[in-house]
Amino acid sequence: MFNENLKAALAAVQKPGRYTGGEPGCVYKDKSDLDLRFAFCFPDTYEVGMSFLGMKILYEELNKNPHWWCERAFMPWVDMKAEMEKRNIPLYCLESKDPLSEFDIVGFTLQYELSYTNILAMLDMAGIPLRAADRDDTMPLVVAGGPCVCNAEPLAPFFDMMMLGEGEEQLPAVCELTVRAKKEGWSKKQLLRAMADIPGCYIPSLYEVNYNEDGTVKEILPLDGVPAVVTKAIIKDMNSQPLPTNFIVPMVGAVHDRAQIEVLRGCVRGCRFCQAGFLYRPMRERKAEMLNEAARDLCANTGYDEVSLTSLSTSDHSQLETLLDEMLEWTPEQHVNMALPSLRIDNFSESLIQKTTKVRKSGLTFAPEAGTQRLRDVINKNVTWEEIEKSCRTAFEGGYTGVKLYFMMGLPTETMEDIEGIAETAQKIVDLYYQNPDKPKGRGVQVTISVSCFVPKPHTPFQFCPQDTKEMLEEKQRHLVRSVKSKKITVRYHDSKTSFLEAVFAKGDRRLADALEEAYRRGCYFDGWDDQFKYDTWLEVFHDLGVDMAFYANRQIPTDEITPWDHLHYGVTKRYLISEYEKALSAKTTPPCNRHCAGCGANKLLGGACFEYDQSVVHQNG
Amino acid sequence: MNTIRAWFTKTGEASYISHLDLQRVMGRAMRRAKLPVWYSKGFNPHIYMTFALPLSLGQESLVESVDFRSEEENLDFEAMAKALSDALPRGIEVKKMYFADTDAAKIASAKYQVRIAGDWTSAMEKYNALPEAIIEKKTKRGSKPLNLKEQIPQIESWVRDGETCFALTLPAGSSGLNLNPSLLLQYLEQQYGLPAAQAHILRVAIYTEDGGKFLG
Ligand code: SF4
Repeated sequence: MFNENLKAALAAVQKPGRYTGGEPGCVYKDKSDLDLRFAFCFPDTYEVGMSFLGMKILYEELNKNPHWWCERAFMPWVDMKAEMEKRNIPLYCLESKDPLSEFDIVGFTLQYELSYTNILAMLDMAGIPLRAADRDDTMPLVVAGGPCVCNAEPLAPFFDMMMLGEGEEQLPAVCELTVRAKKEGWSKKQLLRAMADIPGCYIPSLYEVNYNEDGTVKEILPLDGVPAVVTKAIIKDMNSQPLPTNFIVPMVGAVHDRAQIEVLRGCVRGCRFCQAGFLYRPMRERKAEMLNEAARDLCANTGYDEVSLTSLSTSDHSQLETLLDEMLEWTPEQHVNMALPSLRIDNFSESLIQKTTKVRKSGLTFAPEAGTQRLRDVINKNVTWEEIEKSCRTAFEGGYTGVKLYFMMGLPTETMEDIEGIAETAQKIVDLYYQNPDKPKGRGVQVTISVSCFVPKPHTPFQFCPQDTKEMLEEKQRHLVRSVKSKKITVRYHDSKTSFLEAVFAKGDRRLADALEEAYRRGCYFDGWDDQFKYDTWLEVFHDLGVDMAFYANRQIPTDEITPWDHLHYGVTKRYLISEYEKALSAKTTPPCNRHCAGCGANKLLGGACFEYDQSVVHQNG
Repeated sequence: MNTIRAWFTKTGEASYISHLDLQRVMGRAMRRAKLPVWYSKGFNPHIYMTFALPLSLGQESLVESVDFRSEEENLDFEAMAKALSDALPRGIEVKKMYFADTDAAKIASAKYQVRIAGDWTSAMEKYNALPEAIIEKKTKRGSKPLNLKEQIPQIESWVRDGETCFALTLPAGSSGLNLNPSLLLQYLEQQYGLPAAQAHILRVAIYTEDGGKFLG
């Protein structure tokens, strides 16, 4: 379908390379020899989607099967969307240029609540009816995966199936079953019922949700004998999962355009605000040797000159220093740089800093998240000022002159004192810089405070908490700006409006589907992009439909209330979330999993203990 | 140290790779193909690479080239060309590799074949009859008027398979006037309604000052 019509559209848009495919590493197959065609859809731009590691892992996994072809589709930018609509070009996959409607499975990854309208836009552009109930058996199966599936109830009517947890084994199982259903002529209904037996597969239409008069959930009833609770799929042993050795290498600059090596999955820290930290429990590592080999192969196969060791918390890897040493044996001669994102403030050791500075010296990034020790204890961010001080001092002595600090605003129990604490922390770091006798001459320090608005998320201990109202957040932002006294400190904060909408959808239920569809009909998409976000339209939609946004975002949820996501299980018990919530309110911390098991329940997913509590596996600084 | 030239084509989907992106794509392909390329020294070593004549986004070409350096003496050009071709995206094919002979600074003109759907021969005749054809050409400082007839006095066009075809030889190079075929198409669109965005432009040759071919 790479025809004149498409070429004319490409001639009219910015960065046409986003819509052509053909990148190195891109997979092409002979259509006559296929059992299954899978459209992997990322509901954001090409640049954002091509940075996403999960897509690369699953793309390789599915395409390993010679009779399956997994292709990619992204949300076309506004200009291309208009061109395609004008020229009647349906949304297509980049590899074959065939429209999404010709695929067996159309799968979306849900990374972010504010991309939900893009999903509707993509289905609509492909000519696929939005609601599952309106799609007959000739239409593709529309499925979803990714972290937001942990409560994608607002999307429930649009999807045939959602996949909880990790996809490496689950997704091939879904594909196998679909192939079988095609061969044996099953109806879509039959297929979906059978899919409910695959670990982590959730069929929204097979659960009936009833509500109380006050708008809260009364009950969630499984139909047709499906399990009352869906438990996420998990890869028990990360060493059993080979890392991708080839990537599609984007040609139009992706946000993260480098080789990525997933060193571990999950996180031991238990920060109470962090949804990923709870969704991906327990933490599981890969062996250093395996990682080193994968990094080398990946760089050789892709030609990347930068490799990053990615995970929620790379420095918690028990063999990190060994891994870095092994990698340093080949990376310099291959002209490969190493990047270590998500370094933690509390174990940013001297030798680590040396290893990374050997190849790259850029700004330092720390995430204390809260401005006072009390509030850091509330959120269980186990970081002390002494540790911040030590890390910054080491960094300044190592020649760094820029520090970026990430904070959140609107955290549970937060007071104005905590807001002032953010400014004070930054000020103390500025002072620290000037105390360093060896500071580079003539170069000042630059401390940037980046503040986001806290969004309470499902499956975290803070799921019960209300979000601060927009007015409260804006007052706190003003107070922070007033509290900053030094010119060396820059404050950046994010618009509270998008965070509010994010909170509504994060804790939303199925009744929000109508609002979502209506907002899309009125022109909302790319809500995550400030220049496209139409807040007023959203407010009008909720108003016209009589849906109270505050009910979802700003309401305290009693711990015994049934949440819209109570039937979706990620291994952590609700009892544990409640106990963590109560500990938070009294500012009591919980140690990391590799030190002490707090009994969250996620070990049951593995069928044994998560860690051998032997000192050799506990990171020296961790 | 030797300078090596890779002659390649850029067609189909690859014509939508911008010049800036092409530099990154080429560097990675050289690494993937394990070519014995020379890296610049310094804190952030990179492959030393120069492209002869940047191609506009969306245009195709049979005559692109990139120069790189190597300290290696015994080079199997044929194997290198194949390895690099295999490492490059669809639409970019390495035709040949050799020690760079002609200096890219000597490039003086380039030849293009243009195709556009429909019969536009009468528009071309009207153009041919014009005493002058003035268009604003963008320059580094704003724009200035340019008489296309000075460079393109006549267009000889014909219709084949429902498309109007013609060839243009235009000044090109790092010094002096550079004329992009899209400028003429833009003029024809303004004057005669020819749909410029739908034209296929294929660069087929690059010449040096003395009229010799730059590649080949
Ligand atoms: S079971 Fe214990 S060690 Fe495992 S994830 Fe939960 S708290 Fe951590």
